[in-house]
Amino acid sequence: MAKVLMKGNEAIAEAAIRAGCLNYFAYPITPQSEVAEYLSRRLQEVGGVFLQGESEVAVSYMILGAASVGERVFTTSSSPGISLMSEAISYMIGDQCPAVFINIMRGGPGLGGILPSQADYLQATKSIGHGDGRMLVLAPASVQEAAEMVMLAFPLAEKYRNPVMILGDGLIGQMMEPVEFPDHLKTEPSNKNDWAVNGMDTRKSNTRNLIRSLYLEPEQLNQNNLILRAKYEQMKKEEIRYEAYNIDAKYKVLIVSYGTMSRVCRTAIDELKDDGLEVGMIRPQTVFPFPEKAVEDAASRKSCKAVISIEMSMGQMVEDVERSVKGKQPVSWYGKCGGEVPTPEEVMAEIKKLAN
Amino acid sequence: MVIVGNYGSGKTEVSINLAVKKKREGLDVRLADLDLVNPYFRTREARKPLANLGIDIVLPAEKYLQADLPILSPAVAGMIRRPSQLTLIDVGGDDVGATVLASLAEAFSKRPYNMLQIINPLRPFTETVSGCMKIRKEIEAASKMTITGLVGNPNLIDETRPGDIISGYDFVESLSKESGLPLKFIAIMAELLPKIDYNRFRCPILPIHRQLVPPWKKAKKFD
Repeated sequence: MAKVLMKGNEAIAEAAIRAGCLNYFAYPITPQSEVAEYLSRRLQEVGGVFLQGESEVAVSYMILGAASVGERVFTTSSSPGISLMSEAISYMIGDQCPAVFINIMRGGPGLGGILPSQADYLQATKSIGHGDGRMLVLAPASVQEAAEMVMLAFPLAEKYRNPVMILGDGLIGQMMEPVEFPDHLKTEPSNKNDWAVNGMDTRKSNTRNLIRSLYLEPEQLNQNNLILRAKYEQMKKEEIRYEAYNIDAKYKVLIVSYGTMSRVCRTAIDELKDDGLEVGMIRPQTVFPFPEKAVEDAASRKSCKAVISIEMSMGQMVEDVERSVKGKQPVSWYGKCGGEVPTPEEVMAEIKKLAN
Repeated sequence: MVIVGNYGSGKTEVSINLAVKKKREGLDVRLADLDLVNPYFRTREARKPLANLGIDIVLPAEKYLQADLPILSPAVAGMIRRPSQLTLIDVGGDDVGATVLASLAEAFSKRPYNMLQIINPLRPFTETVSGCMKIRKEIEAASKMTITGLVGNPNLIDETRPGDIISGYDFVESLSKESGLPLKFIAIMAELLPKIDYNRFRCPILPIHRQLVPPWKKAKKFD
């Protein structure tokens, strides 16, 4: 298919359809409402279901309902809306139900503002709701990557029978870039008859599938948590994704940055190179699991003297960076989170301070 | 002159660049940002360079500029009643964005106007003639006004190739024939102009110096 010019939110919506997801339930919130706008038209054309719930809480339990019968289903929201969904996401982790949740982050806490932010990092990667739940979290840096990650997220959610989150900042949703869609995914959720409550017709044996997160027996609850933990460990082995930039140079400073913030860092790295200062970057594409080893290795290079986490938050990912660097280098943080994206000039000034 | 079109068709870039061009040709230009639906990348983002060129911009009050609220400045009705040599109104996308025009009907009453539909055939929903006609109808119904002309704006931003411009031009030409609406001009990124044989174009060209850029890029200077 030829390239088209799309807003990130539109590309996310179209990518979900091409991933074979025909169920979208949502409640509008800036800066992601174009997904609902787009799908309210497009899902009709392809015979899908678009439902606007009465709130994010309602939407999140509609998702649980559809997922539990083995349907591909997703929603999009922005920070305060995701907080409202966090209870149902915790249930879905406990229930082992796959679905895709997309957070186009805006500034917080509270109502915050409508401009871009990355301040939901800890919420997404450490604990989305109560209990020991984790999600696989993908972080796109361009409209093209957002589309590709949506198409990747559905099979990943089904592989792990676990919610997958796409963590994009407001700019990912709002900016326009050319995008080319990969071919349609033809796959159906392949393992669904093993667990989904979709009737007895497809069952091989006479046992019913049961979806639940309630385990009153302590051994059983512990056992369920051990199953979940094994999945998180498998994610750490099999799903880590990252991009290394200018990593072959003898860089003095290593940046760790993700999402659109990393695009600003890229411009800063290119301009600093022209001034004779080499800077490397690791851009996590999965923020859970975090590319610990890649960051550690890049920080351990002989030329490297300092590591900095640059993010649109007051310092969240920096905790993962510190953990990964293991004290081998000083780790600092730079960022803003009012909705203003740091400029390449501001990033360059921070790097120069570290290099001197 | 009222600039309408589907969501993301390039109304704001066209409005800004048209305002600058006309100002440089010696006209008094006023530009109103009437985008009540888009949260980012609006005319207000370019207010400083426009003000520096002496273009009068009508915006909601400064303290509401980042508000997620549909604010219609009363100054817009005023500028329609007392037009400048060129009064440009940059409207939000689709019929939803154009609905606000209906509330200005009294100000428009009996005044002649041009309402131009911006078309980027490389955007979803306007890649076919019927798609463009559908949006035209929806915008006219919502705004209670009539579209009087077309503007071609075929682009993939930085990845636009000369061939995209040529096929985009041919598309808007055929749309013009089918709809009976005149093709007023075609917008082309300034840096692409040397690569294009525009002798075949039967309409004027508006060079575009991109202003609404993401934070890692710089807006193009008006030469």
